[in-house]
Order: sequence, then C-alpha cells, then structure tokens
Amino acid sequence: MSDNARQDKVTRAARRAVLVEGTPVLVLGGAALMLGSTPDASPSQQVGWLVATALFVAAVVWVVYRAFGRADEYQRKVQLESMAVGFAAVLVGLQVAVALDAADVVPLPRLAQSLVVGGIAIWLVVADLRTRLQR
Amino acid sequence: MKNRLRELRAARRWSQADLADRCAVSRQAINAIETGRYDPSLPLAFALARVFGLTIEEIFEPDPT
Repeated sequence: MSDNARQDKVTRAARRAVLVEGTPVLVLGGAALMLGSTPDASPSQQVGWLVATALFVAAVVWVVYRAFGRADEYQRKVQLESMAVGFAAVLVGLQVAVALDAADVVPLPRLAQSLVVGGIAIWLVVADLRTRLQR
Repeated sequence: MKNRLRELRAARRWSQADLADRCAVSRQAINAIETGRYDPSLPLAFALARVFGLTIEEIFEPDPT
C-alpha cells in the first residue's frame, strides 16, 4: 500500500471514528428534541428531557475533545472554522426564532434546541466537506 | 506566504505522506501548506526546516506586498 493510500486510510478511520461517536450524539439530540417539544410535559417527562439534554451536551463535549485530540494543527483550524460557521448559523437562527416568538408564531423554547442540533449538524457537515474536498 | 516545500520534497522523492509522517502531521496539512492554503505554525515550520536540514527562511518567504 502506498504512503498516500495509507495516510488516506488513517484519515478515513478518523472520520469513521467521529461518525461512530457522533451518531449516538445525534440520536440523543433527537431524543432530547422530541422530549422537550411537549408543551404540557409531566414531571417525569421533564426529568427525561433534562437527562437526555445533559447526556447530549456531555456527549458533544466528549466527541469534540476526542476529535481535537486526534487532529493536527491544520485539522484543528478546519474544525474551528467549521464550528464558527455552525455558531453563526445558530446566532442567525436565534434572531429569527426570537422574532417568531415575539410574533407568537412559534414559542422560543421549542425552537432553541432544534437550533443547537442544527448548528452542530452544520458544523459537522462543513468540517466533513472541507476535509473531503481539500485533498 | 510562499514556500519551496513541493520542490524540496520532489528533490528527495518523498510523497506528501512521507513528509507528513516525518513531521507528525496529516497529509492534508502538507497539501494545504504546499498549495498556499495554510501557513504553518512556528513549531511546524521548524519541524519542516529540520526535516529538510534547512533554515525556515530557506523554505518560506513572505509574499511581496
């Protein structure tokens, strides 16, 4: 196997590791989203939502920590720039959500979690595309 | 910043992966430096200079402004 092929295999393995770790994160995010979308939640549903959200946040931190630990300085730069794009999307989305909330169209709490999960999804997609396309 | 990385690497018949292994970075990082999309940190520039047995100034030069 050539050196380039071996290095590409290492890169693919790292990407696969992020997917393997990131999939449970997205599932937790979806679960937290569904549990939190009930307007008249019972106390047990609220506890479930809190637990799912706490696990989701902890899992995001864990995946980011692991991904940064594996990355070199160029890959960290790509990750940080991708995070910036995701964060910008969340900020813009929050402004829109606040406007929708003020107009009594959709309540802000219901949109907030979708925005966070959407921002993370944008960050992961941008990071993946940048590492895939820039060879 | 311009650099002679590709030229120096080719002279030694190293692949990007060879150089990446010697500097303990990814092949994407070497590719990004060679194509001018990324300016390396000072520690990585020193590592590259050490691998080639040159000084940083012999590999990198600032863009004329």
